[in-house]
Amino acid sequence: MAAITFDAVQKVFARNGTGVVAVERIDLVIADKEFVAIVGPSGCGKTTCLRMVAGFEFPSSGAVSVDGRRVAGPGPDRAVVFQQFALFPWKTVHDNIGLGLRNKGVAREARESRIARAIELMNLQGYETAFPHQLSGGMQQRVAIARAYVLDPDVLLMDEPFGALDAQTRVTMQEELVRLARLNPRTVLFITHSVEEAVYLADRVVVMSRRPGRVKEVIDVRSVRAAEKWDRIERIEDVMDHESFIHWRTHIWRSLREEKSGQEI
Amino acid sequence: MSALRLQTLSRAEAAALGAVGLLSFFAIWSFLSLSGLVPHQFLPAPYEVAARFGRLLLAPFAGATLPEHLASSALRFAYGFVLGAVVGIPLGLLMGWFRVLDEIVSPAFDALRFIAPIAWVPFAALWFGTGIGGPILIIFAGAFPPCLINAYRGARFVPRPLIEAAQMLGTSNLRIIVEVLLPASTASIVAGLRVSAGLGWQSLIGAELIVASTGVGFMMVQAQLDASTPTVMSAMVAIGLVGLAIDVALRALEAAVRRRGLA
Amino acid sequence: MSRRSAIGLATIATLALAWYLATMPLEWISPGRFPSPLDVWLALQQVTLKGYANGLLYQHIWHSLKLVVLGFLVAAGTGVPLGLLMGWSARAEALINPVFLLIRPIPPLAWIPLAILWLGLGDSAKIMVIWFAAFVPSVINSFTGVRSIEPSVIEAARMLGTPRGRLVREILFPAAAPMIFTGLRLSLQASWTTLVAAELVGAIYGLGKILNVAQTDLYPGMIFVGMTCVAIFGWATTRLLAAIETRSLAWTQLAEALP
Repeated sequence: MAAITFDAVQKVFARNGTGVVAVERIDLVIADKEFVAIVGPSGCGKTTCLRMVAGFEFPSSGAVSVDGRRVAGPGPDRAVVFQQFALFPWKTVHDNIGLGLRNKGVAREARESRIARAIELMNLQGYETAFPHQLSGGMQQRVAIARAYVLDPDVLLMDEPFGALDAQTRVTMQEELVRLARLNPRTVLFITHSVEEAVYLADRVVVMSRRPGRVKEVIDVRSVRAAEKWDRIERIEDVMDHESFIHWRTHIWRSLREEKSGQEI
Repeated sequence: MSALRLQTLSRAEAAALGAVGLLSFFAIWSFLSLSGLVPHQFLPAPYEVAARFGRLLLAPFAGATLPEHLASSALRFAYGFVLGAVVGIPLGLLMGWFRVLDEIVSPAFDALRFIAPIAWVPFAALWFGTGIGGPILIIFAGAFPPCLINAYRGARFVPRPLIEAAQMLGTSNLRIIVEVLLPASTASIVAGLRVSAGLGWQSLIGAELIVASTGVGFMMVQAQLDASTPTVMSAMVAIGLVGLAIDVALRALEAAVRRRGLA
Repeated sequence: MSRRSAIGLATIATLALAWYLATMPLEWISPGRFPSPLDVWLALQQVTLKGYANGLLYQHIWHSLKLVVLGFLVAAGTGVPLGLLMGWSARAEALINPVFLLIRPIPPLAWIPLAILWLGLGDSAKIMVIWFAAFVPSVINSFTGVRSIEPSVIEAARMLGTPRGRLVREILFPAAAPMIFTGLRLSLQASWTTLVAAELVGAIYGLGKILNVAQTDLYPGMIFVGMTCVAIFGWATTRLLAAIETRSLAWTQLAEALP
């Protein structure tokens, strides 16, 4: 089934005639149904990595593959949840969620039931005919997640999806995502600035160096989580109280700080 | 948000495509003209127009050479445009500040705005004959509204905190208008000047087509009556060049304003 | 009635009164310069019932209106797709832009003599000039409309596997719609201006024709009637377009109506 492979990937952007190395070298394998978070200082290239899996950018050298095949362009098998939501303001919630299914040629009845299920899954009942601008940021992002989920994608790509939300909404969404991930596991690549978010959500956390980006270290949270049964704990504040959580969080923070100290504020 | 760019073309590729476009344009034009598909009288070849343009720079047509006609037109334009700005901008700022003034002037302004500037020509002719007052009135009719509207908008949409800060500091009304509203509206005003200049130049040409005895619009009408297509086209080129020059100048002003951080 | 409407009405009433006084009892303004309300009324009667400049008022109005709408639709129908194409394809833009930049500085009214040379004084010459005038704003604004679409919206559409046709119809077009309408508004304005000018220069029927003849006849009352008609129908078509705009863009959060 699906896995994501970064094989000696490098990405150079041409800017005003010179090359800017966004990503120097990434070697990473993400297993099927694994939830991997990437954290790193600003400009380290983590979003670029996600965009290469999404097919919006292509590596300058090396290869990015999904399920053994090289990524050739964007598609619904690798659903993206954007930081700015990227909903279509002129379509209702229902139509926003449904567009991907229509593109796939799914018949109307099947489509409607899948949309209904996605709406239920994301707690959007009652808002089917609303327009995005009538919804709060948190709700808009739910719609964006519903739009991605309804495609039943092999891979879910989330680019700082909660970055534009206020702190409390953010926490709610994180808990929802954990619930979703348990109900409906699939391969997830999750980009974030927030270390707590990464440790809470992910099976593995990839720490990137500052630009030009490389993999600095990879932390396996899953084994700790299984041993201490965070899975059974619902609330984020309870999880964050655990010593092991604090330990890993602090460790990653220190790692990032090392990277940042070389940067200007 | 950066502008949407779906394919990034190298500068060389863009230049090449541009050249292809331009050359095709002239090639098709020349072909249509020289092959006789379009009667030659209607569509002279590009080089003929260029030759005529050159000649008009020195030889008079309809009373004066091309530069002399242009100067005539430009002078009228300058008067009308400056008048439009000098009346429109302060009035707009005042209307943006004094609600009462806005309520008084706006209805009348909105009613008159829908009259295309060119429609003032008959009255202009009636009042000023072929004197310079006529074209100036029409240019004013075209140049005034954008100046007013943009100054008004600029003043009305100054961020509230700026005004509140000024009021807190005990600033008089006049000073607020001159030292807060005006600078804060500069970007909008300059944008308005650009639109205003375009409309004013347009209105001028229109006016000269009907009531003038000199000027480049007048020259075009005479050429048309003479069925002299190359001259008509030369005049069009000249008009376009001057219009372009005005726009480029104002665009530079806009950029300068932006650089000063006033935008 | 809101305060604003009340003051507005009061101002207009005052101006109307001043107009009446200045032209009739007080005769501050000579009738040769500016018509009195009575002059206007008589002129209106004449053109509506007996005819002026080869036709009755409704015939002139209808003629002008027809040409404006037709010219506008042709210009918008060609300009918007071209603008969208140039916005979407960097290649198309690179190819077409230089020619566009060459033609653009020429004011639409400057095409009138050429149009008359080519097509005479009839309707087709008018449509041609209107096309030149109204075409440019539609192209530019549609172009800008596409270019100002948030890239992530297009990326989301591509991620969802949206095929080309659907992408243009359901994504590109609605996203660019606000700016397209701005362009349409400018195009409509340009259409009216150009038509009136073209008719002033030379025509057989139309509101501009009325103005033309009235000017030669030194008939201020009729000039006033002509100008008022131009204003009224200009306003009416603009309001119609605005209504269409509001319906089509109901999904946006336009905070204030644009004039």
